[in-house]
Amino acid sequence: MTGPGAAAGEAIRAAPGPDGNAPGPLALAAAARASLTGPVVRPRELTPRWGLAAHTRRLLTLGLAGLMIAVITRRAEFAGLAGPALLLLVAHRRDRPGRIGATATAGAARVFEGEPLAVEVVVTGQRGYDVELVLHPHESVESATAPVLAQDGRAVLTVTVSRWGRRTAGVCEITLRDRWRLNEGRAVLTLPRVDCYPAPAQQRTTVLLSRLPNRLGEHPARTAGEGVEFGGVREYVPGDRQRRINWPATTRRGGRLQVNTFAAERSQDVLLLVDASCDVGDRGATSLDLALRGAVATAKAYLRVSDRVGIISYQWGVRWLAPGHGDRHFFRIAETILAGPPARSQHYGLERLPRAALPPGALVLVYSPLLDQRFVETLRDLRERGHQMIVIDVLNTEPAGGKGSLGRLGRSFWRMEQEAIRFSLHELGIGVVHWDGVASLDLPLAPCTRRPLTARPHARIR
Amino acid sequence: MLARARQVTVAGLLGALCCAWAAWPLSTGLQTGLLVLAALCVAADLVRLAMPTAAFTDVNIFSSPAVRLARLWFDLLKQLPLAEGAALAGLILEVAHPSRPWHTALLGAALLCYLLATHLAESHAPLRALRPLLPALAAGLGLLVLGTGAALLPAAAPGLGAGLLRVLAAIAAIAAGLLALPL
Repeated sequence: MTGPGAAAGEAIRAAPGPDGNAPGPLALAAAARASLTGPVVRPRELTPRWGLAAHTRRLLTLGLAGLMIAVITRRAEFAGLAGPALLLLVAHRRDRPGRIGATATAGAARVFEGEPLAVEVVVTGQRGYDVELVLHPHESVESATAPVLAQDGRAVLTVTVSRWGRRTAGVCEITLRDRWRLNEGRAVLTLPRVDCYPAPAQQRTTVLLSRLPNRLGEHPARTAGEGVEFGGVREYVPGDRQRRINWPATTRRGGRLQVNTFAAERSQDVLLLVDASCDVGDRGATSLDLALRGAVATAKAYLRVSDRVGIISYQWGVRWLAPGHGDRHFFRIAETILAGPPARSQHYGLERLPRAALPPGALVLVYSPLLDQRFVETLRDLRERGHQMIVIDVLNTEPAGGKGSLGRLGRSFWRMEQEAIRFSLHELGIGVVHWDGVASLDLPLAPCTRRPLTARPHARIR
Repeated sequence: MLARARQVTVAGLLGALCCAWAAWPLSTGLQTGLLVLAALCVAADLVRLAMPTAAFTDVNIFSSPAVRLARLWFDLLKQLPLAEGAALAGLILEVAHPSRPWHTALLGAALLCYLLATHLAESHAPLRALRPLLPALAAGLGLLVLGTGAALLPAAAPGLGAGLLRVLAAIAAIAAGLLALPL
């Protein structure tokens, strides 16, 4: 027997119940899980905490108070008053399930910011008790918090992860109730972990270097090659393909055969340098949020045109991913972003990025608020080493300070300092553009995308 | 939404009816105090039922003091046994009056309806959810009528037999209560 049914059967056989024969709640949960197709989540066995429901407490209060008053005051009508409440309590069940199986399966292991994510919760071994689920989402996870009644112990909850990061979606409170709602058992299930990638900003155009490495790609280079973009006309030499003969040009040049030449098509290496050393600004639109959204958009745009893209994450340590291409590499980049920097270490000279992370001749796109002086020094060092760079400034906030004259003076000094930093980078031949995080990235990069970026081997260092 | 509003309104009206019925006619200051307590319990329970489940979920340390206070108050409302308080106050109000068996029986029926309406409103369940309870409810109402009828009978003559009967009745009532206890 093959297929999900077989897997379910094996799961039941593999995990017998406490009595050794009947399948336990864990086995049933595993069987239910085996029939799904989403990412695998380990079934958990939970012990509900049982107690009287609010309805039971009310009926009990009315019944016992009526009886007590009847006995104390010798008024039989109060005993009659207690009768209906006590009779309703007789329906109370005593076969409470001691343990239940529960599985939470996320519809996807990876989402982008703002994407809805379905989480299926399966509860087994509830012995006919009604199951109600209430989701308590974690920080940066949004969800409807209204209780959901699980039909046959199965319900789908939808959450939206609003900020990038690696976190569990939250916890699900499972409430078991009998038919009369007299008994109530509660258990808590931790929902699966979700990797939320930054939502990519909009970027269609790409910055192109004037000197491209000798590797096949999609960008037309200055050298002649086998591309599709027309390069010029030259005289025929033996060995040229006849279909490339340009007959009008041949006629104009007195019958000497002329052939068309085409531009070679090359790819380039693009390195994304993300400055995570500072994170300032409003929540949801901080400098780091913008840097990561921009980096993801850039990675997508360059990978789409078959360029090789790598990433360096700069914080108290440096984590990098060597350039690569393809769709799979995009997810590697996203994983590198989520992984963050390595553990705090004193071994890195942070003003100098490791040579292994920097392929020669690569275009370096830097996302930074330019608030960390060490990072600015790193950029100077990179420029000295001959790398072509564009800094995308993602700083969109100012220090709050005071509203008085002293606060205004402080802010003026701060602005001047920031302008000085940007000016010094510009003087080194590093283009600095500002991005507000709302508009398309094509807009600030437009001056650089109109023509290929001229590679200057060394910066003017003063 | 409309159905839920209807459920909450019915629960509130039944609670108010119970308070008024138990207190009628008001004679002493203690009864007035109990009536105020019962009315407060019913009103607060009504607020609790009317508030959506997801109210104040996004309150955090940065929220304004008024919002945080409202959240605290709402949490307190959810913790307090308000319906039980209203029912107890109603019973004590009824005890404070001289014996009036049919009046007490109607109060018992109204209190039961109030508790069931509160239960339906807080569990968002429709009225038909009570259908399986109908036999138990019918039997309970029968007990109510029996109790009321017993109270209407002339008291037994004082003596050893009557005392013994009373003791037996008390033991039977306590046994019934213990049997019904959900333990």
